[in-house]
Amino acid sequence: MSDVTFDIAPGITGLLGPNGAGKTTLLRMMTGLAEASKGTVTIFGEPVRDNPPLYRRIGVMSEHETVYGFMKGRDFVRMMGRLRGVQDLERAVDKAIALVDLADAQHRPMDTYSRGMRQRMRLAATLVHDPEILILDEPLNGADPRQRVHFKRLLEQLAAEGRTIVLSSHILEEVEQLADTVLLIVNGKLAASGGFRAIRAALNQRPYHVRVMCDSPRRLAAEVVGLGSVDAVHVDPDGAVVVLSRNVLDLQIELPRLAQASRISLRRVEPLDDSLESVFGYLVEQ
Amino acid sequence: MGPVYRLTLRQLSGRWRLSIMTVLASLPVIIAVIMLRSKDAPSVDEFEKGVLSAMLAGSIAPLVVLAIAAAALGNEVEDRTLANLTLSPVARWQIAVPKLLGVMTIAAPFIAVSAFLTSWVAFLGDTTASVAVTTSALVGVALYASAFVWLGLVSTQAIGIGLLYIVLWEGFFSGFVSGVRLLSIRHYAIDLMHGLDARRFATGRHLSLTAALIMAALVFGGFLVLSIRRLRRMDVP
Repeated sequence: MSDVTFDIAPGITGLLGPNGAGKTTLLRMMTGLAEASKGTVTIFGEPVRDNPPLYRRIGVMSEHETVYGFMKGRDFVRMMGRLRGVQDLERAVDKAIALVDLADAQHRPMDTYSRGMRQRMRLAATLVHDPEILILDEPLNGADPRQRVHFKRLLEQLAAEGRTIVLSSHILEEVEQLADTVLLIVNGKLAASGGFRAIRAALNQRPYHVRVMCDSPRRLAAEVVGLGSVDAVHVDPDGAVVVLSRNVLDLQIELPRLAQASRISLRRVEPLDDSLESVFGYLVEQ
Repeated sequence: MGPVYRLTLRQLSGRWRLSIMTVLASLPVIIAVIMLRSKDAPSVDEFEKGVLSAMLAGSIAPLVVLAIAAAALGNEVEDRTLANLTLSPVARWQIAVPKLLGVMTIAAPFIAVSAFLTSWVAFLGDTTASVAVTTSALVGVALYASAFVWLGLVSTQAIGIGLLYIVLWEGFFSGFVSGVRLLSIRHYAIDLMHGLDARRFATGRHLSLTAALIMAALVFGGFLVLSIRRLRRMDVP
């Protein structure tokens, strides 16, 4: 990692980047597991490295399945609660396990769990001391679709209670759906940060492809090429008009007006690259 | 410290480890019985050098301790569960000390029973000698445990390095290089045995009881401090 500076506020922040970009390294530095050779990481204004009392206020779930297979799920959560000095331990354990919806499996050894169940029990252990900050590295690994929905609701609930949640994921749709703010890490550097659409706006140098389905594609292509917001146009074999624009905001206004004036019926207008994947694909190329 | 201590006991009391330790710990007793039944029964000096020093203090005790101490923190580094402990609001000594205590709790009974029975058989029920041998063996367990817990924390090859240390340093060099004896856990234990029962073990040149105790304390405390320091400074996987 180099030249990375950012602040994180309450809410859900997604840490995003291609494999090997440095997401896990960054999270490890943020949690004090790894030391930065230069610079500082502070949480609540305190250095995080070699500062054990700070972990009363932080919950960390690493990407690895760091469980003791011989241990029952409830015993694991209880042990983590005890290590973190939780008062009224049994009630806190009950609450954490209920949050991840694993009460039925809590008395089974964890080596009998599926991967998704182990992740959820680890999340319960991360939540047992009611931390103000949650740092989750690839938390949805191994989760099935139902568990993903449950996890999403849980994170939203935790964020609504005022917690600060940082999560990394290589599944872009998850970050897009979950995170209020996105940090894009590329080649060990912070490539962009902010809301997803703010990041998109910041990337105004990037050509933007829009696919238009209409009743008269060739006529629309001939008309649209004259717009100031359009750089290039072509018609796909399936009859879709693909417009290349560097000024998509103007295009959003001009295209419907043009279609109306030309009596062309627009059936569908969709961005071809309005996803996080396309955004950091572009950033990686840079 | 309780959760880490209980976790360590559970982690290190696997069936195969306990089986290996049982086999190893029974060897000195078997050897003692065989030696005493032979026509050329050894003198006290020969028995001390061959069985108590070279075998019990220099081989069996370190091997038994190595089998569990290297895993105490080493396995947690390898399977990445160490982060569960280091991401908790506990001082690092509250991780290292219960880990060390857990190792000693498991290894000590095996070595204590082995040392006591071996000396009881060899010295025909001499309680003083048996207590001296057992006590010195337990001190050896503590020192080896402290050293090997640290070794497991700094190297992924702790078992291999530990074996080399046992064979080369404790077994080979400390046997005939007199200066090395001042830096040998095996010899601290044997010197302690001499100090605790000078009547039975009166031969040879050794450290005094006080000097042996001081050296033992320095080694035990030194490696414990190194483990705590390592836990504070290492990048935890």
